[in-house]
Parts: sequence; structure tokens; C-alpha cells
Amino acid sequence: MKDSKGLVFDIERFAVHDGSGIRTTIFLKGCPLSCKWCQNPEGMAPSQSLVWQKSQCIRCRLCESSDSVTWKKDRPHFAKDIDPEEAARLVDLCPGGAIALNGTWKSPQDLIAELEKDRPFFREQGGVTFSGGEPFLQADFLKDSLQLCKQSGFHTAIETSLSCRLIDLQVAAENLDEIFFDIKIFDEEKHKELTSVSNRRILENAAWLLSSRHAPKITVRTPLIPGCTANDENIAAIAGFLAKHNPNVRYELLNWNPLASAKYELAEKDWQLPEKLARFDQAQMEHFRKIAREAGVKTVL
Amino acid sequence: MNQTLHPTKRIEILKEKTMNEPRIASIEQAKIITRIYQENESLPRPLQRALALKAALGEMEISVEPEELIVGNRTKGVRAGVIFPESGLGWVNEEFETLPTREQDPFEITEGEADEFRRDIYSYWKGKSMEDIIARAGEGLLGPIKKVVKINQTDHAQGHICPNLESWLALGPAGLLEKTRIQKALPEHQNEKAQIFYESCELVLEGAQIFMRRYAELIKQMLADGEVDPAYRTDLQEVARICEKLADSPAQTFHEALQSTWFLFVILHMESNASSFSPGRLDQILYPYYLSDIEAGRMSEQEALELIEALWIKFNQIVYLRSAHSAKYFAGFPIGFNIAIDGVDENGEDAANALSSLFLKAQYDLGLPQPNLSVRLHKNTPSYLMQEAIDVVARGSGMPQFFNDEAIIEPMIEDLGIEPKDARNYCIVGCVELSTPGNSLGWSDAAMFNFSKLLELTLHHGVDLQTGKQIGPDFGGLDTYRSYEELENAFEAMMDVYIEKMMAAEDIVEKAHQDLLPSPFLSTVIDDCLTKGKDVTAGGAKYNLSGIQMIQAANLADSLAAIKHLVYETGRVDAVQLMHALANNFEGEEVLQTILQRKAAKYGNDEDEADAIAVKWASKFREKMKAWKNYRGGPVHTGMYTVSAHVPMGENVGASADGRKAGEPLADGGLSPVYGRDQHGPTAVLKSVSKLPNSCTTNGGLLNMKFLPSFFETQSGKDKFESFLRTFTDLQIPHVQFNVVRREDLLDAKAHPERHRSLTIRVAGYTAYFTELAGKLQDEIIERTAYEGL
Repeated sequence: MKDSKGLVFDIERFAVHDGSGIRTTIFLKGCPLSCKWCQNPEGMAPSQSLVWQKSQCIRCRLCESSDSVTWKKDRPHFAKDIDPEEAARLVDLCPGGAIALNGTWKSPQDLIAELEKDRPFFREQGGVTFSGGEPFLQADFLKDSLQLCKQSGFHTAIETSLSCRLIDLQVAAENLDEIFFDIKIFDEEKHKELTSVSNRRILENAAWLLSSRHAPKITVRTPLIPGCTANDENIAAIAGFLAKHNPNVRYELLNWNPLASAKYELAEKDWQLPEKLARFDQAQMEHFRKIAREAGVKTVL
Repeated sequence: MNQTLHPTKRIEILKEKTMNEPRIASIEQAKIITRIYQENESLPRPLQRALALKAALGEMEISVEPEELIVGNRTKGVRAGVIFPESGLGWVNEEFETLPTREQDPFEITEGEADEFRRDIYSYWKGKSMEDIIARAGEGLLGPIKKVVKINQTDHAQGHICPNLESWLALGPAGLLEKTRIQKALPEHQNEKAQIFYESCELVLEGAQIFMRRYAELIKQMLADGEVDPAYRTDLQEVARICEKLADSPAQTFHEALQSTWFLFVILHMESNASSFSPGRLDQILYPYYLSDIEAGRMSEQEALELIEALWIKFNQIVYLRSAHSAKYFAGFPIGFNIAIDGVDENGEDAANALSSLFLKAQYDLGLPQPNLSVRLHKNTPSYLMQEAIDVVARGSGMPQFFNDEAIIEPMIEDLGIEPKDARNYCIVGCVELSTPGNSLGWSDAAMFNFSKLLELTLHHGVDLQTGKQIGPDFGGLDTYRSYEELENAFEAMMDVYIEKMMAAEDIVEKAHQDLLPSPFLSTVIDDCLTKGKDVTAGGAKYNLSGIQMIQAANLADSLAAIKHLVYETGRVDAVQLMHALANNFEGEEVLQTILQRKAAKYGNDEDEADAIAVKWASKFREKMKAWKNYRGGPVHTGMYTVSAHVPMGENVGASADGRKAGEPLADGGLSPVYGRDQHGPTAVLKSVSKLPNSCTTNGGLLNMKFLPSFFETQSGKDKFESFLRTFTDLQIPHVQFNVVRREDLLDAKAHPERHRSLTIRVAGYTAYFTELAGKLQDEIIERTAYEGL
């Protein structure tokens, strides 16, 4: 038995964009970065709290019966120091499921049970993907879970920012079949400005991984965020770095997903980028890919 | 998908003509039938029927388009709604004038025909049509049960059958006539009943020959008149030659086989005017004809495709006129020319061939609602064929639907006693109804049993919530059951009561079909009618089944799971309060309604709390049917599909404990979860559905799923879809079908039907033009859960 516990903010079955085959993606809560364009803002904070989902609320105000709830401006507000039992009671009480915990503590065994449900769909290529947040923020839980997954015969993948300790990465890599990591911005200052952390450790970890025996498992990704990451200079610099360490690595440029801003309301965070950012068209995508290829990366997706 | 072959100009023209011709109600055949009956009042019914069909085959006005490669129709125009007197005209009498204006499936009418219909046709049949006779025999029985049990086939012939096309192609009407005469002369058939049967078969087969020759003559006349564009003359001459030949000889070339196939189905429709005469495994049956033409260099692949597409267009030219009420249950003219491709052969090996691919290609090109194309998957279905099928799925026409040999064959053998070679050769008739080809009268749409209404009566002392009237026995109510077990016991007792009434009603209906609608032409192409000397309606077929549909396990499971958990386990909901809330349609009880919807397990989420209830009651009902035999002496089994009946059957049910308001639709499909209640994606849905034993769906199951087009944009997406289908096969789920269309497209099509005339959509086991569906059904389709794989 593994006694580590992980805070999970979502489990998505039939995930088809996070690795090969049909997968179940485990979203681990908490992230050391805070990217201005974050697609999963609900996963940023490394703690569990009550949230209120407007669309599910039927305004029955049953929750008002709790001393930890005040009803203001057509919505409930929860006391900061609400105790976990009372929080759980409120979640159960709310008829529409509008009040929910934004994360659940799970053991590695719990995860395995969840994965078993879709085992028939995984077949040769599918399996589990750990995502986040930043999965390495809960390194012990990740390590234990990956070990159990391999024992159970699941294909494993991770999506990480590589903002983690090298030793944790080295241990996890042993039990991973596919590794997706981001290099978002090459310039350290700019990286700090837009993600709130330096990219030094990220690049060091990337350099190790790219030249390690795990290299064939890697796909490097850069999300193309207008005004942030999507400029010729940045793509050329990242691609140059990749080419230097491993020109054969798969490099994927991800088009901007305009749906992200819709999740900010739920997470009660402010969207800091302009409201209407257009997706890049085919020609623009090809333009960026060409820059990456010219910088020496052989496989650009 | 083979991109080197293309639909030809001729096919485009024929498709255009078929789509643009207005649908007209026709009384031409009704006049002929009525006249023959009047002239032959003293003859036994089989001879009256046979003479009426023979007369229609000889007299109905016919036409041929110069571009046609496959000819023949049941009326002069295409897509006519044929008014048919023997089975029932009451609704036509009431609805004649509103046919052009009704919401679902309107038909234009011809000036003055309403009067002619009432004067010459209705006045003769009133009181003696099958529906009148059934109504009299079932008086006091049929009325009171109708909200719980919908008894089908009370005013039209059964259809839903797959003829022995192989023997029709090999013998033709001339060969069958010879076979009939040999049987007729046998000593064991020297009794009046058998002699009448054989005589009726002779008459209709002669009629079939006459019908074929008439087309040859008409074409020759057209050519002689110089009406035909020179580009089409040679081909039309060939068609005339084929029609003439088929009257006396078996089919030999691929073109002959296709024309012969079409004649068979036209005549079957002219005899019965019923839905769902299905060709079955057409890729298997036609392959020898295809192969010999290809090998001899008589035909190219492109020519074969053109012929197939010409036949595909013909399949769209027969529609079925239903009453306004029936059109709600079966909206958009499902006529059920179901063609099943691939699947295993007699030895369990993969049976895919070049025609399987060409059939998919024809559907890919045309995107029409007919034929209803089905793919029989099994664990060794080749990947290339799956990818071709997925390319067609991605086109969004709702086809092909997928059936699963791994789920269907074994229960046919185990539960129904069907011989393994017949089970491995299974076909689909109509939408999703399972049958064996050429030898079975499956009576697959015998009745629909409404579980939700049954639960309503159980919870409310036998009172119909919509009228406040006592319609069922009082076994108690939510206010008296002290435990969940007590409630379930009362539910089972209620089930027994209605099963008994349903089976009594079934006997009445089947007897009426035997007495009034013997079908000699159909009997010549169903084994073993000719050797037994017995009409198909009288039990002449090798297999004689009846199928009852359970409607719907999903609503029942969700309702019972909510009551069990919230009333009896946690006590969160008070039983009496719930009873009142249901009776008042949740008026002022929105909180309670939300609790029922959200605070208990729902079927379709891979959670046993709800799934196990669906399994329990579907299995129990199936088990109970084993105690019954149908009027022909065959077994009664079950299916889980609704066609579009989940809308009108929902209209019959008051508010339910799954949080559904009175009159709202039930779950669609039959295996599908209630829409919006499946929260864990398509894999969880398949897992839930896979828990239902396949013995419950030997008559057919139906699972609807909706995917967004973006899923199919990349090869990786298509590969994942293939993987999904492979797991569907492994999980032994009998059926699945996919709508691939964007929500915005549907909303736009509803608002601007003129821009989306050719948009076809999977309704339930069949595909229809979206813009031809009634608004409520359109909304319902828009609401079905979509998976985009974010």
C-alpha cells in the first residue's frame, strides 16, 4: 500500500488530446507557475477550497442555513476558515451541485480503481496521462502512482512544465512511456514576467532529458499565445535550444485555445489578456513551423 | 475511401430528380384493390389478395426516366404515399384533408380525390378493414392498456422481414412459379387450404412477370418515340432487355441482379404496403454476380459503382404513408431498406469483399437516408474497412450504423434456438431489428412496453397522473410501501398484469393478420412457406418470433435509483411529498426536482447503483417473456429500441422520479442514457450499456451517440475512433450509431430549413432529412449529448 495522497482537481475519461490512444487524464492540483494564459486556472492553487458554479445554482439558498455561508449579490460566499466537515456537508446539501470542492484527495490506489474502468479502451496505445497544475508539485504521490500504474500494466504519460527537482524527474521518467513538456518562453526575463518564475531550472531539466535515454519518449510543446509566446524570435530561440541538445526531438506548436477565458469566471480569477484573441490560421501556423525547422529541429508538428 | 471512383453525371441528375419531386398521396392502387374485392366477394381471402396484387401489377401506371439504369416503382411518380385499404383506412378518412398541412411527413393531395376516396373506397372498407376487426375483437382490452403497452401492426401489414433474395435471383418469378407448381401437385398438399395458398402464389408470380414485361415494353415505346437523349439510348435498350429477360429467367450479370433485386422489393411493397422489407447481406449475395462480370471484363469498378448508386437512389423512391400519430413514432419515412455489410461468414471468418467497400463508397457519395446501411463488426473486422466506414460516419449522414457479431450471434443460438449457420448469417430488418435472412417472420415490432408508465401506476395506486383516472390495479403507492423491496414487488406485480394483457392483444392482432392479410408473394420468398404449403402470416416461415420493446431502461433505472437512495436509504426525500410533487408536475417543487436529478446515481455513468437496476428489470422482463408463445407458436423475445417513439411515449407519462417533467421525451435510442445525464463521457456510456445482458436485445438494441466533426479531422482522431469501435466490439454491445454534426448546424437548419434540405440525421435506427422532422423532435436531437473530446 502507498500512503501518499494527492490532490486531484479533475479526472477526464476519453481524453484524446493528451497522448496516444484513448486515455484517462488525471489533473493534479497546484502549479509553481502562473501563466497569464493558463488553460486550467482552477488548478493553480495547491489547496482545496469550496467553489460555486453559477450555471448549476438554482438559487434555493439552502446553503444559507450554514454559519459559514453568507448570501450576497445573488450568490453564496464561504467563510475562509470553513472546516472540512462543514464544507463536505455543504457540497452534499446543494441540490444542483453548484457548490463543489475544487479538488479531491486521492490515494494512488484510488487512481488505479478509476483507471481500471476504462482499461478496455486503452488497448495498445492508450493509458493514463498525468497533467495539472504541475504534477511534479506532488512528487511523492506522482512517484507512487506511476509505480502502481506500471505494475498494473498501464501506458503512462505526463504533461509537465519541468519546473521541478531534477531528481524527481529522473525517478518519474523511469516509469513514463511518454513525456510532454513545455518550453513556453526562452528569454528568462520575459518568462518571469509572463509566468512569474524563472525558466532556468526548466531549461536545465530539459537539457538533461533531451540528452538522456528517455529522449525518444519526449514531445516538446510551445503554446502559441498571441502577444506572449507567439513571435518569431521566441520560436527560433526555443527551436535553436532543442536543436543543440537533440535535433531529432518532436516539437509541437499548439494553436491558441480561445475557450480558456471562459474558465476564469469559475475559478474566480481575472482574465488578464485581451478578450478576443483570434486563433492562428493554417498559414500562420506553417510560418511558425518553418521557423522552428530552419532553426534545426527536424520534426515539427 | 477510394477517391478514384466518382458519382457520374447521370447519378447527379437522378438524385436531383428524386429529391425535388413533391410527395403526393395516391389512391390509384386502392381503387384497383377495391374493385377486385367487389368483383370477387365470394373468393377466399388469399385469392382476393393475390388477384388484387396481380391486377395492380398489370394496371398501375408506370414510368421510366431516360437516365435510369434501374427501373420500377410502385406508382408512376416517386415518393408517393400509397393509400392502402385492406389494413385500415379510418385515419385516412379523418386526415385526408390535413395530409398536406400536418407537421410531420406531409403529402400533397389531388383535387377531388378526397371525395372519390370516401365515395368509392372508404365506404366499401368501413367496418371490414383489419383495423376495424381488431378494434372489435379487442374492445375493452386495447383501449385501457394503450398508455402502458403500445400494440403495433393494428392498421397495417407487418413488413420487417428479409426475403430470400438469393433464391429470388437464382430462380426469378418463372423458377418460383415452377417450384410452386411442383409443390402444389404433391400428395401431401392435396387439401383446400394448401391448394388455395399455391393458387394465390401462382397468381402473384404471374403478376410479377407481367410487371417486368411492362417495363420492357414502356422503354421500347420511349425509344421508338425518339424521346430519349442519344446519350442514354444504348443503356436503356440494355435495361429493356434485362426487364424482359428477368420475367422468364434468373439474373446472370451484376446489372441483372440489381434490377431483379429492385423488382422484388417494389412488388413486396405493392403487396403489403408495409415498412422495412430489407435486402440484408447484399454485399455477400451480389458478390458472385459482381465478380463474374469483373473477371470477364464485362464491367469496370466505376460501372459497378454507378449501378449501385442507381439502386441506392431507387431505395429513396419508396416512402411509407403513415397516420399523423404513427408519423410521430416513426418520423421522416423510415422505410427500412436495411443492408448489412461485412460480418462473419458461415465459418466465423471475416466476410468483407469488394462490394462492402463499394457500398460504403456509394453512401459516402450520395448521403441519402436509404438504404439504411449497417456494418457488422466483429473481432477480426479489417482495419481498412473500419477506416472506410469511419470516413462515411464523418460525413455526418448518420450512417453506417454498427452492429456487433460478438454480441448478437451467440444469444440468437442460445436464447432463441436458431441454428448456428443462420445466426452467423443474421441480417437487420428496418432500423435495428435482428433477423435471419430469408426464413424468418420476426414480428419484431409487436409492441412497445412503457416501463415509465408502469412505474407511474405502481407509485400512484394505479392512477394515471395525466387524467387522474384509475387505469390499473391498486397495489399501493409511495405513501404505503414501507421499503424499497415492497415497491419493487408491486412493480413486478404490475408488470405481470400488463404482460398478460399485452399477450392477449398480440393474439388478436396476429390472428387478424392471418385471416385478412395473407401475403402470397412474400411467402414465395420466405423459407419454408412453399414447402409447407403455408402462408408466412400463418407460420410458414422456418422461424416464427415476436419482439417486444422495453421502453426505456434508462428512465426506469434513474427513477428507481433516485427513490431507492433518496427516499428509502437516506430519507432525504419524503415519500408522500414526492408523490404529491409528481402528481403536481413539480409545481413549486423545483428543489426536490433538482435533488432527484442531481443527487442520485444515473444510468450511463458506469456506476452500478443505477446500471444494476436497468440490468435487473430488463433481465426480469426478458425472463418473463420466455413463458409465452406467439400465435404462430414461436418464441417471444425482447428488444431495446424506440425508433422515435421516446417522444410520444414520453407524452403519455406524467412527472417521473428521475426529475423528468410530465410529457417530456423519454431517453432516446433504447440503450442510451437519458440525455444530459451521462456526465463521464462516451467510455462510461459504453461501460454502462455493456452491463445489459445481450439476451435482452435479441430483437435489437439501439445506442445513439453524437460526436462533433472536429473529432474526425485528423488521422489520429480517426484511429482513436477505430480504437473506440474495437472496444465497443470487445464489450459485446449489440449496436451503436453516430450523429456527426455541429450543434450550430442543427440550430441553423431548424431556423433556415431551406438551406439544409439535404442534411440527413440519425433519428433512431434510421436516417431522415433533418428539415422534414417536426420541431419537437428536432429540439430533442439538438439536446442529445455531444462528445468533442476536449
